[in-house]
Amino acid sequence: MRPLTLRRLLLQCFVLTAILFVVVVVALKFGAVPVSLYALGRDLLRFLLGQSSQISTDYGFIIWSIRGPRILLGIIVGASLSVAGTSFQALLRNPLADPYVLGVSSGASVGAVLALIATPFLSLSPALSALLTPLGAFLGAAATIAVVYFLGRRDGQIDSTTLLLGGVITGSFLSAIITFLMGTVTTGNTRGMVFWLMGNLSTSFQKSVYWFLGIGFLAAAGAIYTTASDLNLLLAGEKEAMHLGVDVPRVRLVVYIAASFLTGLAVSVSGSIGYVGLIVPHLMRLIFGSDHRTLLPTAAIGGAIAVVFADTLARTVVAPSELAVGAVTAVVGAPLFIYLLRRRLA
Amino acid sequence: MLKEVARPRFRSAFLAATAAFLFCAALSRAQSGSPISSASPVYQDITDETGRTVRVPQPVTRIVSLAPSLTETVYALGLQDHLVGDTEFCDYPADARKKTKVGGGINPSLELIANLHPDIVLVTKAFNRLETVQSLENLGISSYATDPHTVEEIISSSKKLSNVLGAPEAGATVAGEMKRRLADLHRRIGALPPKRVLFVVWTQPLISVGKHTFIADALRLAGAASIVDSEQDWPQVSLEEVARLQPDLLVFAESHSDSASLAVEALATLPGWSIVEAVSKRRVAVISDAVNRPAPRIVSAIEDLAKQLHPDAFTEKPESNKEKIEKENPPPNHRPAAHSSFWPGNLQARMAIPGGCACAR
Repeated sequence: MRPLTLRRLLLQCFVLTAILFVVVVVALKFGAVPVSLYALGRDLLRFLLGQSSQISTDYGFIIWSIRGPRILLGIIVGASLSVAGTSFQALLRNPLADPYVLGVSSGASVGAVLALIATPFLSLSPALSALLTPLGAFLGAAATIAVVYFLGRRDGQIDSTTLLLGGVITGSFLSAIITFLMGTVTTGNTRGMVFWLMGNLSTSFQKSVYWFLGIGFLAAAGAIYTTASDLNLLLAGEKEAMHLGVDVPRVRLVVYIAASFLTGLAVSVSGSIGYVGLIVPHLMRLIFGSDHRTLLPTAAIGGAIAVVFADTLARTVVAPSELAVGAVTAVVGAPLFIYLLRRRLA
Repeated sequence: MLKEVARPRFRSAFLAATAAFLFCAALSRAQSGSPISSASPVYQDITDETGRTVRVPQPVTRIVSLAPSLTETVYALGLQDHLVGDTEFCDYPADARKKTKVGGGINPSLELIANLHPDIVLVTKAFNRLETVQSLENLGISSYATDPHTVEEIISSSKKLSNVLGAPEAGATVAGEMKRRLADLHRRIGALPPKRVLFVVWTQPLISVGKHTFIADALRLAGAASIVDSEQDWPQVSLEEVARLQPDLLVFAESHSDSASLAVEALATLPGWSIVEAVSKRRVAVISDAVNRPAPRIVSAIEDLAKQLHPDAFTEKPESNKEKIEKENPPPNHRPAAHSSFWPGNLQARMAIPGGCACAR
């Protein structure tokens, strides 16, 4: 492991942020309504110069109130899923762990759907009702990862194959529960079944939701980052890490809660978007190495790039209709997963 | 080692935080603009059929419809010039295909809708998603939802919509016309015992309609009774259940992709289906897919089905003769001019071909 320097980490993050910026500009440019590159460039320049008031209202509304928030949502969801994936991979010492593959996303979906069904019966203020869905998603995610963790243990050690199988089966069981709930419960909003089974970013939310998501992400990702060097030692094995002075139960608890929270956060606004938490950390490991102090921030930015790019495809391929972004990530992610699995078994 | 990384850790965290906050702040500033560049600042608060209170700019001159039934209703009310956008499924009347398409009903493009600067977006609870309505609301675009569950509610819903859109007279005419035709139908077949039918929404798997749908109600008005008695709106029905209940007839709605008669032939060749007598004897009624749409045109489909189910009730008086009598003595709430424009060639065309399909395409 090459020694980490501040300079290199900043450079890596800067390069990735630059790529993210390019992808965001592309995402702002393309969509069902044509926007000329000139108009977009002019508006972006005005925006950077702090003259937002002069932005033409013609495209302005579409770029800043429809595409912009959706891109912001993609950035937060992608970063959350990617950091959650990286954390689960370290926690379970299995490079194929991912919120979607392990069924955690489905667990979060069940929690969110249950919260949606329960909301009309609880007379809560609108603000509290809005928080109920992410809370349900978080509890669903936390419960699922606990179940999968115990399913995957054999003789006190985590068995890689058992863990993955346990996760896949749990996920399919939970998807069936969602389908059952959607088919039987007639109260509330049951039209969005596809939304929960195959994630998408097409919903626009109130401004406060974006703030909640942004702050929630920074808090949870920050908490995971404080354990970054401990996670490096954990890769060698729990006993070894313990001997090297790592407070393993504390690290496990912090990462477990924060990663479940990140998954719940992402799922409560976008449904289950698969494979982002698997592919992006892998790619970042190949490029930047497996030091979690670089892996966590680069995976976060990389996840944002991946989801914003996939969502741009989802918005434009069959315009004026839209695909679910989960379909795009699955089409790319599933073959890569198979490839990684084959390479591991070989 | 831990000390060494403390700085890069916090620096990058700060960097990310600052970037995220800048983006959020920029968005919150940019979002304050309103999409509706309406000249008139007059608004009306209206409660829609899902109980939401909606603020609608007055007068309504730019309408986007997110359901085929609502597009049809807008045309029936004569407000097609105000319709600026509809969905890819809006195919009736033919002119509706030429309107700007904003995607499907489930997954419309929000930016295309916003780009049309609508005064109001029409949605229906059964066809559209709540997320779409919430998203529109967050973008400051008014939407009005309908939710009819019976034919009676389709009539009142159309009438209410005509008030919202500022055409109450057209709404009263359309509603009166629908009521008159249904009353006429009731006079002919109201006393007859209903035929027991299976309404086929989909064959593989077999999907029918539940008792709380407007389709089940349309069947009742046409002198039919659905053998399926389900609380669910689109229940999946087992073949065994159909065989046990033995419907007198199968009712199909003409679809875009497949001719219904082909569907019946395909069904008859499947193992087990010959046990259903209506299939083996090919006792089938095919009606226009207007029956699937909660719009004024559903009355044509009801009349068509009634004629196929109870042909005797319509024989004592030749159809062309009846039409002539009506033209000579229009009922009080029935204007001949409105008749021909609201029901373009539909009724007349079918009357020319006895027993013909009401398929408008």
